[in-house]
Amino acid sequence: MMVPPKTPIWMISPAMTSPNPHCSLCYILQSKQGARFQRYAMEVQHFQVQLYLAIGFGLIFLVMSSNAMPTTHEEQKCFGEKYVTKTYFKIHDSLIDSQFEEFIANKIPLGLCDVHQDERYFVPRLLAMHRNLIGVGSHRQLSSSIRIKMQGESKSKLPAQSCQVIIIEKLPSGGFADPFELQHLVHRGVFTDVAVLGDTNLELPSFRSNRSVVEIHLDMGYNMSSGVKDELKINLRLPLHARYAPLGHGFSKVEFGQPDLLMRCSFEGKAFDGSCSFMLKNDDVDYKASPIIWEVPCGIKEHAGVVSAVTFLSAIVSALLIVKTSIYHSHNTIF
Amino acid sequence: MDKINFRFLLIFSAILRVFLILYGEWQDAHMEVRYTDVDYLVFSDAADLMASGKSPYKRSTYRYSPLIAALLMPNSFLHHLWGKFLFSASDLLVGLLIHSILKLRGVPEKLCTFSTMVWLFNPFTFTIGTRGNCEPIVCAMILWIIICLMNDWLLQAALWYGLVVHLRIYPIIYALPIILVLHPLHFQPGKKPALVDWSSRKSKSVQGSSYMRINGLQGIRILLASIFTWRRLVFGIVSGSIFFILTGLCFYFYGWDFLDEALLYHLTRTDPRHNFSMYFYHIYLHFEQEFSSLEKLISFLPQFIVQLVLVFRFAYDLPFCFFVQTVAFVAFNKVITAQYFVWFFCLLPLILPWSNMNLKWKGLACIFLWMGAQSHWLMWAYLLEFRGKNVFIQLWMASLLFLASNTYVLINIIRNHAYCPVFNLLKHETSNKTTKYD
Repeated sequence: MMVPPKTPIWMISPAMTSPNPHCSLCYILQSKQGARFQRYAMEVQHFQVQLYLAIGFGLIFLVMSSNAMPTTHEEQKCFGEKYVTKTYFKIHDSLIDSQFEEFIANKIPLGLCDVHQDERYFVPRLLAMHRNLIGVGSHRQLSSSIRIKMQGESKSKLPAQSCQVIIIEKLPSGGFADPFELQHLVHRGVFTDVAVLGDTNLELPSFRSNRSVVEIHLDMGYNMSSGVKDELKINLRLPLHARYAPLGHGFSKVEFGQPDLLMRCSFEGKAFDGSCSFMLKNDDVDYKASPIIWEVPCGIKEHAGVVSAVTFLSAIVSALLIVKTSIYHSHNTIF
Repeated sequence: MDKINFRFLLIFSAILRVFLILYGEWQDAHMEVRYTDVDYLVFSDAADLMASGKSPYKRSTYRYSPLIAALLMPNSFLHHLWGKFLFSASDLLVGLLIHSILKLRGVPEKLCTFSTMVWLFNPFTFTIGTRGNCEPIVCAMILWIIICLMNDWLLQAALWYGLVVHLRIYPIIYALPIILVLHPLHFQPGKKPALVDWSSRKSKSVQGSSYMRINGLQGIRILLASIFTWRRLVFGIVSGSIFFILTGLCFYFYGWDFLDEALLYHLTRTDPRHNFSMYFYHIYLHFEQEFSSLEKLISFLPQFIVQLVLVFRFAYDLPFCFFVQTVAFVAFNKVITAQYFVWFFCLLPLILPWSNMNLKWKGLACIFLWMGAQSHWLMWAYLLEFRGKNVFIQLWMASLLFLASNTYVLINIIRNHAYCPVFNLLKHETSNKTTKYD
């Protein structure tokens, strides 16, 4: 029994579509059952491509279901403490400044380095921090320029292997950072690591969203074995975006506070082996007391009534015009 | 000769798209502003997640069916450009299908080729596929459904229709015209449906005959009685089943995440951020309060009435009906983004051979007005977003202007269209139904 070749889509032309492809099976059916079943046989033939596609999709689903695990929360214990802020969000639901200060002072994982030990080793000190908001419009960059002094008290018995500066930016609810953009920066080597925690919804306006925290890690690769007094200069630019502001009278102010700075160093030595964090405080440093303010344009409340009325009116007028044209442009139709 | 022309056209378009994809790679690597659309990265990430057995909805802002992520899984193990090549190939397929539909309706070759060029060389369309947007696939499916209906391949049409509604919700607006066009007098078992030839578009027999005109209440009763023909029932049941089966499977695998992100989000989407829609500022100003049912009804009513009237006027000229419905749907929608325009751009070449509008000067006027209104809106949007100026009112008025330009263009297209039903009436030998439709 000859099976006719399947007509590929790209060969469709009027010549191909008008006569039914010859089908011996169909002739058999025609003689027995009639035209309707012949048509169904045609349908089934043309159906083959769709059948293969359906089988393909089905296979994909099968593969997925065999691989699919229930949504696991992969708690990688060793990285659970990688981000300081993650531990905060395990305890608290949302970012509240006082709670966060208390957390930083007392509950940081890996612990604060105890600087009152007999073994005196270097203590980093924050020399200067200058902050600025660069750019115009809804997409700007928060630039921080930080100078840290690495003071070695004595020829170190405990050379620090490597140090990492951790900058914790507590963002106000009017601004947010795009985690994907930041990951891109990590790939390009601008940051070592970055995490955005808290409310990471990129789309809600600010009165519906909660605050988020950006934690940036920068590897210093600092080796203290030489014990030399040194200065670290860090220039950081964090891309930020403004959320839609709550309604007001033209512009709404978004205020940025000071970040929390930590330096996490890992030591290897006879007396102390491990990692700990130094808290770099701002209060012994000359810094600009004025906060950074971002002015975001916002909708004006007084417009609400007029805007709604005119919007609906325009919609109705346009609809009526289209309806009128359709009805009076005469030709035969159902109505 | 003409076949060679069309083949040459396709090859040239393919080369153009390949070039743009490769250029996009270069631009992504070397310039600040990316060529690739953000959506493509969302698809790729979701596909990666899916390939490693997790839910694609872990990727925030992934708002499509898991089938699209599944299509892009080769991105992770083959090459990250697979998706773009797939979308561009669908783009070319759309051109091919447009050509086929026009040939089926008897349009002369030169006009066919010219109309197809309107799709293939539209800068909007070739950038959309090469930037990594999935709309060309949906457009290809819609056109294939039209071909299936024209060839009376009912089951196929129903299957693809169910699938396309699952992928993108908006084709549901085509349900009513398809049901109407599946009229028993258009089809006969065992024979191909008779299509009205393009050359007869101006003849009185098409324009003047009052077949199926409804007169009064008795007419409406007759219409309602004939609504449930077996053809319509089969189409409805098969496409509905496919839709529910696919939705059910996705729900089984991915749970409420899938329903919320892929379905409910599109149905209830009210985005206060600025977009082409005239409703954006109204939504932003009222975002702090919930919308009352009355407000929701008022905003839905113009859309609903326009769709109904367009369907009942133009259903039998199926491509034209689809086109005007889509333009109206996009224009009155609560959220309008640039990728929605592709939905009617793929249908535009299908109606051009029947349009009496000359390119000079009416056609050009429509084009420039529509593009001008868009550019005007884009200018204010740039000032708001990238210059930080408070220009909400001006931006809102620009969106009203855009609505006005959409309305103007749509009205002109309707007025200058030579209405031409797709199917000719077939006389059934045995039925006496024809006597009822006088």
